[in-house]
Amino acid sequence: MTRKKAHEHGEQRCLNILRQLSAYIDDELPEDICAELRRHLGACPNCEVFIASLRDTVKLCRQHEPPPLSAHDRARLRQEILRAWKPEARA
Amino acid sequence: MYRYAHRLCGEDEAAKDLVQETFLNAYRGLRQFRGDAKISTWLYTIASRACLRMRRKRKGAPERELSLEEFVPSSEGEFRLQIPIDGLTPQQALENKELREALEQAINKLPKKYRMALVLRDMEGLSAGEAGGIMGLSERTLKTRLHRARLFVRRELSALGMAHTDRHVHEGWRPKETGS
Repeated sequence: MTRKKAHEHGEQRCLNILRQLSAYIDDELPEDICAELRRHLGACPNCEVFIASLRDTVKLCRQHEPPPLSAHDRARLRQEILRAWKPEARA
Repeated sequence: MYRYAHRLCGEDEAAKDLVQETFLNAYRGLRQFRGDAKISTWLYTIASRACLRMRRKRKGAPERELSLEEFVPSSEGEFRLQIPIDGLTPQQALENKELREALEQAINKLPKKYRMALVLRDMEGLSAGEAGGIMGLSERTLKTRLHRARLFVRRELSALGMAHTDRHVHEGWRPKETGS
């Protein structure tokens, strides 16, 4: 089975683009590189979809909250820390 | 501190152990704290070091390097995989148990040095400079690790999107059309 060419540009170009995507979405790239990347993204639907999914990933990470510690567990943890600390403090 | 510990450890009991260890180490080292850094940064540093020590003891998942090459999609379909949160805000999307668990699993599967970079920067909201300082890394190295961690999580979550495209829709959660 022949493998379809994945993308319009070569793998090295993909790697160069891929390397810069986080800096791009974090607005950390110099304006000229940013403009070049924007031009590429406008012309390359695959890369545009890819970067959108990377943005979604970052948004999900930013919004994710672990389950809160209950008041009971918080009090217990505090007691455990103090209990463990007291013998050391006395020594 | 518990929130950070839970994000690093991925489970309640280990997170409680880490909080305890962090505060005990902080009390022990209080005299060495010179006030040059924010107290929160100092606690993050103590917790991060304690976490690395605890994980070594527990012999967690083997460490490995993530290379950029492994994230280059090898087919058009892979390029166009999307995270299935179409039309929802991230908060709404995370109400979906399956997506939430997939995100947590993806983060837990990350080798720890990549996970820590992601947690400090993208979840705790620290700057790259602060996160690098806590991990003892240059800002540049921190950003490299963060980027690979994001690519890893993106790949894991988009695989979930693909599963949903195959299976069809989940109530209130429709995968985007990939157009491929």
